[in-house]
Amino acid sequence: MRFIHVADVHLGARPDAGPLYSEERPRELWETFEHVIRTCEKEQTDLLLIAGDLFHRQPLIRELKEADYLFSELTHTKVVLIAGNHDYIGTNSNYRTFQWSENVYPLFGETMQYADFPELDTAVYGLSYHSREIRDPFYDEVKAAGVRGCEILLAHGGDDRHIPFDRRKLEQSGFDYIALGHIHKPAVLKKDRIIYAGALEPTDINDTGEHGYVKGEVNGHEVHTRWVPCASRTYIHLSAEVCRDDTTGSIAKKIGQWICENGTENIYRIELRGKRDPDVLLDTSRMAEEGNILEITDRTSPAYDFEKLYAEHKDSILGKYIGQFRECREDSVEYQALCEGVEALIGSMRK
Amino acid sequence: MIITELYVRNFGKLSDRHFYLENGVQIISGDNEFGKTTLHAFIRAMLFGLERGRGRAAAGDDFIRYEPWENPGIYGGMMRFVCGGRRFRLERDFARGVKRASLVCEDDGEELSVEDGDLEVLLGGLTSGIFDSTVSVGQLKAEPGRLLSDALADYAANYYETGGGEYNVSGALNILNEKRRAADRELRAEADAEEAKRRRLQQEMGYLNEDMRRLKAEYAEKSSLSENPDEAADLRCVKRTGTVLMLLGLAAIAAGIGTAAYLFMVQNAAAAALAAGTVIFAAGAVLFCLGIRNRKRRRPCGGGRRRPDGTPADIRSRLAGEMTYIRGELCEKKLRYENLQEQYDETGKSECRMRLEEKCRALEMAAERLQKAAQAAGEGMERRLSGRMSGIFASLTGGRYRSVEAGRTKGNFRITVWDGARRIPASVLSRGTVEQLYFSLRMAAADVLLEEPFPVILDDVFAFYDDKRLESVLQWLSREKEQVILLTCHNREERILKNLVRERRVSDEDKFA
Repeated sequence: MRFIHVADVHLGARPDAGPLYSEERPRELWETFEHVIRTCEKEQTDLLLIAGDLFHRQPLIRELKEADYLFSELTHTKVVLIAGNHDYIGTNSNYRTFQWSENVYPLFGETMQYADFPELDTAVYGLSYHSREIRDPFYDEVKAAGVRGCEILLAHGGDDRHIPFDRRKLEQSGFDYIALGHIHKPAVLKKDRIIYAGALEPTDINDTGEHGYVKGEVNGHEVHTRWVPCASRTYIHLSAEVCRDDTTGSIAKKIGQWICENGTENIYRIELRGKRDPDVLLDTSRMAEEGNILEITDRTSPAYDFEKLYAEHKDSILGKYIGQFRECREDSVEYQALCEGVEALIGSMRK
Repeated sequence: MIITELYVRNFGKLSDRHFYLENGVQIISGDNEFGKTTLHAFIRAMLFGLERGRGRAAAGDDFIRYEPWENPGIYGGMMRFVCGGRRFRLERDFARGVKRASLVCEDDGEELSVEDGDLEVLLGGLTSGIFDSTVSVGQLKAEPGRLLSDALADYAANYYETGGGEYNVSGALNILNEKRRAADRELRAEADAEEAKRRRLQQEMGYLNEDMRRLKAEYAEKSSLSENPDEAADLRCVKRTGTVLMLLGLAAIAAGIGTAAYLFMVQNAAAAALAAGTVIFAAGAVLFCLGIRNRKRRRPCGGGRRRPDGTPADIRSRLAGEMTYIRGELCEKKLRYENLQEQYDETGKSECRMRLEEKCRALEMAAERLQKAAQAAGEGMERRLSGRMSGIFASLTGGRYRSVEAGRTKGNFRITVWDGARRIPASVLSRGTVEQLYFSLRMAAADVLLEEPFPVILDDVFAFYDDKRLESVLQWLSREKEQVILLTCHNREERILKNLVRERRVSDEDKFA
């Protein structure tokens, strides 16, 4: 039995994808999802498992129709899905009334149920969110019932507010494979057994790294999985180390090079770190002219040796000022105030 | 530290000039344009280098100002000095593209490095800023239109309230303030953008609300109709009667007009026939109006443009179909509304905004702590300065004024002097006396701020002193200071000093005798 496991497709989301791609981004989420479905069709995959959050919010009828049309085109694959915390089944949810195609098996109950596939000797278990948050550790008590040779659990959550679970209990639950959703970063909790597929496409600036889905094959109780990258873009956070010789122009040039090296199709957030020449003003707005950059933050500090300055000017106002900031951490507001004050004092002196 | 020799190779208008200096008051006199101020700048450049300004600031900086007009490739000189009992030779080349400095101890030939800060060590914490504000004295200058005593008060405030030295606290606070305002502006723009986004969502929600209200009204109407299908049927009857009435009315009007026309033509009309015609016309008009009203009344109730006739059961099932459709629409709109609401709730402060807020907080904190630091640095300074300044000023004025007081009252920094009977504000003192107060302040500051004695350089500062005060100040200088370099365009300093030295020699001889 072969399956594909996706999660957190977030159809309908409008992620901020930078100046170049934000407009097209909602469409791209659909396109990547279509690509997965085409893959199912091409490879005649037996099961498509969707581990929650297929939609970003409460799905509209037309969105459901759109998705169901894609499912209905599958000649062989059967689709099992659950609702996650984003597309939870509220009182007005269209999930309650929508008529899916024959090959779609929604597990929309609030309690554990399973879809039975005798021809595959497989049962897929799952439950759906009926509210935005579930703090009860439902999955800790779940056990494979043993109705079929291969038993799979679709689960969504894993943090404090979304069905927290104990990994060891999941390991002992008796499922051959547990398809996890909710955490957007792909993660293997137990090799070939318990896997977060990760979001199909990154939908938030913090969804860095590659995204894709899990392809698996079950033979008896043997499971083999492979993670397949397929997202069209990646969010990349670059931390740029600035040195004393750098200027706005030199950094802009470096950023341009990094973006070329890391792919112009990707979405960037750039953070400038390190020590800059105290005389140089870094203008981040002039650095973002090329490439798809969401934002550039300047976290550099002027290259003053505060210890030395303090030692040399202990009795003067400069020393007394620096003295008020002893032992403050470099990323604190205090440190920022220290840099600003020293810069202003020294700047006023030159005038 | 004692400067023993200055050799100007090429610097401003001076070139290839030697000046040999000894301990005590050294007078370098010359006419206007002799190059006294140039020599003063040369000493400063030898001690602290000649940093080129950047950008526009470069236009008026010392580098450009003293770059020799002839032979600019040679730009620099040499200075010999004694420090801590050892003799040093400092050579500098300021020329463009060369920029070189060498420092050698002439006692043991040890080569020291200016770049690595060996000279700074010898200067014992004397920076160019402290140099400018203590031992290097020019005339007190006030901006045009300002009292000299105000300029003095500003100057004194810097010492009293911030501990003096090279820093300009109010300037620094201004820089911080400006930055704060800029950050505030950015913050407002960011908040406005977020607000606009929220408003757009709200607007969209408003439209949806309106749609839902309309759909609900339509639904309510249909549901009341479906509960009472007879009414719907009645409506059609009313419509039919209305049409009949209207047609009858039209016929009656036509009859009335016909009768009247007939009478008109026949001209032998009977009163009864006339009355009958009038009545028929009136009745017709009334019927016609009623008919139109009935036809109109039907319209708002019907809703549909075209409605096939049918039995009440047909109507009911059709209405039920329409209601299901509206219910679906309503559900969908409600869902969209809730989704928007969710999106609205998710809008919060952006990271950018939080960062800007953090920056504002940092700038605020910097300003606060800077003031605190200024206070801390000024503490004790006031006491030390006041005592020292009073002593110097008393000896300059031959005891006429006993003490000087300075401090802030009602936000203004004021200086007053005490003559034993009255407290006199500096603003009413003569120019010469204000200059002497200024001199006392600087010498007091030098004593308080400098760890090592350093040559005092006076650039034409005694122009407003009378002979008596000049004598007092020269006396004070030769008594208190190891070395004084006095640049002047007058001869009287030299004359008075000669007398003093002669007197001193006499008194020294007395002592040794």
